[in-house]
Amino acid sequence: MKKALVATAILCALAPAAWGQSKAPVRIGVINPAKTLVGKQGIQGATIAADLINQGGGILGGRKIELVVYDTNFAPAEGVSAVQRLLTQDDVKIVTGEVSSSVALAVIPVVEAEGALFIATVPKHPDVTKSSYNGIFRLNSTTDMDSASFDAYLTKAVRPGKVAVLAENSDFGRLTIANIKKLFGNKVVYADTYGMQQNDFNAMVTNARASGADMVCIAGSNMEQYGNILRALSDLKFDGKRCIMPGILNSEGVRIAGAAAEGAFSADIYLPTLGNSANAAFVAAYKAKYGNVPEKIELLGFESVTIAAKAMDQAGTATDVKKIADAIRKTTWKTPRGTVHFDASGQAVSGGLIMIGVKNGALAPLGK
Amino acid sequence: MLDLLLQQAVNGITQGMAYALIALGLTMIFGVQHVINFAHGEFFMLGGLVAALATTVLGLPYVVGVGAALVIVALVAVLVDRLAVRPLLDTADGQSTVLLSTFAVSLLLYQGVLTAWGPNPERVEGLAGVLSLGPISVTYQRVLVLAAGVMLLGLIEWVIRRSLVGKRIRAVAQSAYAARVVGVDVASVRALTFLGAAALAGLTGALVAPISLFSPTMGQHVIINAFVVVVIGGMGSAIGAVVCGLALGILEAELSVVIPQEIGSAIIYALLLVALFVRPQGLFGKVAR
Repeated sequence: MKKALVATAILCALAPAAWGQSKAPVRIGVINPAKTLVGKQGIQGATIAADLINQGGGILGGRKIELVVYDTNFAPAEGVSAVQRLLTQDDVKIVTGEVSSSVALAVIPVVEAEGALFIATVPKHPDVTKSSYNGIFRLNSTTDMDSASFDAYLTKAVRPGKVAVLAENSDFGRLTIANIKKLFGNKVVYADTYGMQQNDFNAMVTNARASGADMVCIAGSNMEQYGNILRALSDLKFDGKRCIMPGILNSEGVRIAGAAAEGAFSADIYLPTLGNSANAAFVAAYKAKYGNVPEKIELLGFESVTIAAKAMDQAGTATDVKKIADAIRKTTWKTPRGTVHFDASGQAVSGGLIMIGVKNGALAPLGK
Repeated sequence: MLDLLLQQAVNGITQGMAYALIALGLTMIFGVQHVINFAHGEFFMLGGLVAALATTVLGLPYVVGVGAALVIVALVAVLVDRLAVRPLLDTADGQSTVLLSTFAVSLLLYQGVLTAWGPNPERVEGLAGVLSLGPISVTYQRVLVLAAGVMLLGLIEWVIRRSLVGKRIRAVAQSAYAARVVGVDVASVRALTFLGAAALAGLTGALVAPISLFSPTMGQHVIINAFVVVVIGGMGSAIGAVVCGLALGILEAELSVVIPQEIGSAIIYALLLVALFVRPQGLFGKVAR
């Protein structure tokens, strides 16, 4: 009897510890340039995903999702340091996020060396999904995927006579200039790049206007810069079409440009007005927490954590990366933008782009 | 082609005036205190922030925002001077220490604004409308920057050359020791110069923000060009800062007509580097003895 009492006491003492261990949260790493607006938007999207999953009871029999967030400051070295810390000190197996392709490309070898999984959200560089390691995924569309939809719209619906391109001095900007030249040939009458810290665009816009172009294409991811270019085009009375390359234009950029953005057009993989239940739940939860409507960057943050968590749940493990990667690949995911599946390289595929334009100070679908 | 060159000249002069005003404050502090103020760009940023808060957040008229920027940045500068400049300047190796302390202040101001405001850029509603002169278009806000710049440069020139305060500033710039011997309150002159230069940066930030938008990073971006202008013009030379600021703006704009913009900037800086080899003291600087 005495022995039974002692055994019961030991069991009672150990039970809460064992229960607590089984319900320990599952940690997902989030890396982003957290001090920038775009980085903040991605983190907020990821946070909503964790909130909704936790409110629904968590994963793997009731374990909550806990996000471990690090700032990469757009610097590859800081990105590598953050991922090393996540994988070696923070008990993380899945890392999501990032905006910069340079940072994403720098962290991939670390993820591979540690046998972990990385879901890149915003980076568009083609090499992000060219790793032979099968634990690398990307949610954003690539420049080639964008071109497949957008080029046809430009040549068949917009049909400019002469084209000017103003592009940021980055891989993306230079690639865009090359693509536009390939698409329009000698119709491209002016093309120049601007520095990532430039904030006065009157000289460039003056040259673009003087070139006789009837369409100006802007390829720059910084909304402050494309907003200022739109304002300069308006100030210098450019009356042609203004095209923002796909995946860039958002409502904050439109607000910054003000009336100068009216009539500008672009294309993207997501609009918050899409009519499906997953989007309604996402927009409502985001609006309730942050007071505004989410857009593409928030969506990508949301998708990254949602897919990571659900894949762990499907695979029945939070640590077996191969099983989780297989679950990501074999599933067609229902997300706020519709359905998403991943090809063999880990690239997300979700159908064509939505053509969007600025009408009455807001983004609206244009129709194909 | 003439229309294009004229338009670029107007673009360049307005941009160059902003360079000149920022560089002028930086060079004034160097001329009088012989220190490099790394926080100068953040004074410029604070001016833009105050203008944004006053106009966009509080809905006050733009002129109130400009006045508030001047006053608030001057008050911040008094604090910075009292805490991070004045106590260190006369210590052993004081000039190097102040360089570090102003760098620390710059980080503090930037991170403070980033934490309180966030990374979001913000519109600042300045003067609306565009002035059209035949084929040339220029916004009224740019005209304001130009006009205010000319007036401020004239005022500073008058104060430095004609007023008693200006004589004292020049005396301290030449030799703080000699100025002290003849009864000039060197500490007050230095503090006044620091405050004036910071207020000028704040005012410039409020004038430029409607053109470039307010952003917490605007001070970090602008300070690099300002340093280049000051070094090329001659450390401590007011005329050097103004001439080189305007020349940089005009050259950048005009060269963009014939060559890609970033190559144009690289050529300008390469030429200026050559000029420094010929005149290491800067184009308008005096030879150190």
